[in-house]
Amino acid sequence: MHRPLWQRILLSAWVRPVLLVIVLLAVWDLTIRVFRIPPYLIPSPWSVVQQLVAEWPRLLKEAIPTTYATLGGFALSIAFGIPMALVIAYSRTVESFVYPLLVFSQSVPKIAIAPLFVVWFGFGIIPKVIAAFMLGFFPIVVSTVMGFKSVDPDMLDLARSMKASRLATFMRISLPQALPSIFAGLKVSITLAVVGAVVGEFVGSNSGIGYLLQIANGNFDLPLMFAALTVLSAIGVLLFVAIDVVERLLIPWHASQRLDVMATA
Amino acid sequence: MSVKRFTCIAAALLALCAGPAMAQGKDKVVLLLNWYVYSEHAPFFLGKARGYFEKEGIDLDIQEGRGSGVTVQAVAAGTADFGYADVATMIKAASKGAPVIAVGVALQTSPMSVMGFADKNIRKPADIRGKTVAVTPGDSMSQIWPLFLKKTGLKESDFKTVSGDAQTKLNAVMTGQADLLLGYVMDQAIKLQDATHRKVYPIRFADYGVNMVSSGIIVQKDYLKSKPDLVRRFLRAATRSLEDAAKHPDEAVDAMLAAKPKSGVKDTAVIGMKNTATLYKGPDNPGDRPLRVGAKNMDETLALLVEYGGLDKASAGKATDYYTNAYLP
Repeated sequence: MHRPLWQRILLSAWVRPVLLVIVLLAVWDLTIRVFRIPPYLIPSPWSVVQQLVAEWPRLLKEAIPTTYATLGGFALSIAFGIPMALVIAYSRTVESFVYPLLVFSQSVPKIAIAPLFVVWFGFGIIPKVIAAFMLGFFPIVVSTVMGFKSVDPDMLDLARSMKASRLATFMRISLPQALPSIFAGLKVSITLAVVGAVVGEFVGSNSGIGYLLQIANGNFDLPLMFAALTVLSAIGVLLFVAIDVVERLLIPWHASQRLDVMATA
Repeated sequence: MSVKRFTCIAAALLALCAGPAMAQGKDKVVLLLNWYVYSEHAPFFLGKARGYFEKEGIDLDIQEGRGSGVTVQAVAAGTADFGYADVATMIKAASKGAPVIAVGVALQTSPMSVMGFADKNIRKPADIRGKTVAVTPGDSMSQIWPLFLKKTGLKESDFKTVSGDAQTKLNAVMTGQADLLLGYVMDQAIKLQDATHRKVYPIRFADYGVNMVSSGIIVQKDYLKSKPDLVRRFLRAATRSLEDAAKHPDEAVDAMLAAKPKSGVKDTAVIGMKNTATLYKGPDNPGDRPLRVGAKNMDETLALLVEYGGLDKASAGKATDYYTNAYLP
């Protein structure tokens, strides 16, 4: 199939979301103009872009601590979440003790207890990392548990009948089959970790995008606020894409990846 | 139009909730406060309890706020009729196009201060050197803070700064993570005392040549134009409420605690109410009734905001754009 160049560009996977963003920006701008929404309620996209350019060095500087806190919280989520999920998946006893409590803890609004993290751990990066961890932890546990529990029992029987060791069974069968679920959890987790880091920054922090948001809010500087939100979303997207790349490398055989390859080819 | 429509829907919903009250033919008025209720707001509860608003044909609904900025935006968008908010914050929003105006200024001397526990012996600006100060980035106090430093010969590098939201500021001082916080004399000082039973010593900005008006009553400009009589009646009742509360602070606090039992502790709230009342008198018009603000006071406030408060000089205009005494009794 040979489509014209412009069609190929238009249909390529990278252009589509950009197109959608442009359409949304146009709708946003039009809405403001048509309904005469004043700038102290919603800023125009153009003023946000201007502020994004003007304040770029500052935004970049504040993005760094937020990214660190996000990655820190995400790393903690993996370090605690995956082992815990393994134990839960392989032991019904542990599951019956721990799982309900885990769900219970997840329903506690983090913003309500975040001020205490500052009391306990001071104004540095730790309360932010913990807030990111609190939000990012749960999806990893849930999807990892699901991944290990949905391993094909016939495959496990086969491994047993061939006298495979437990380790070999785990490495060759359980882990590969659980990986797609684990990655689904990681992707949800990283975007939530960004939110968690900002919650931490709102409550108490001397730097970061959350800190900048507070200042912008205090000055009715909505363009700066939206610019900061844009940067924040960009951080989330970049980290998400990074995980996506790792996923492609680790499980190229999985159905979701194969389909994607076919769609872009 | 969408904002207006949204407002209409919101108003309709509010009216639905308040169905029985509407039936008596009184004007249903929502007063949105700047913050959760504390002693500063006691006069409105006193006025409501004594029927001052009712006598003016007003069915007053006092609602708690989440910061002056939000209150100003809600009034500008028409989701609240009257706002009780920091006038300096309102001026900043108005300079960005929010159609709001102050029709009465309650606190004519700034309650802003930097405070810590009295036993830490921080009593004058020089004592702040080497200490840790907790601030909320972007709030009104953090913006005037540099001016206080300049007037008192301090530099940012003379002390350590930690930033956090309103609750974190209090927590930081209570746990010793910070020695001082930026707060209002009748708000945070009382909260710290209530929580710890330790005396708090505030260093007032106003005592070091930093003065600007603070909380006031604000309305949307269209509202003022379409319902001048209602605004007049509301301000008559509010003026009486403030006068009465200044004379009988404990009755005002009783009325507040009766309506909002969790809003404070009687003894310290009375002190807070007394401290609030001392701020009702303006420096350039001490003989006037409360809510009436002097022209010089407002000019100075605007000048300070232009110089330090992040207000753009080009769009600032003049002080009279932002307030009027014309609807006061």
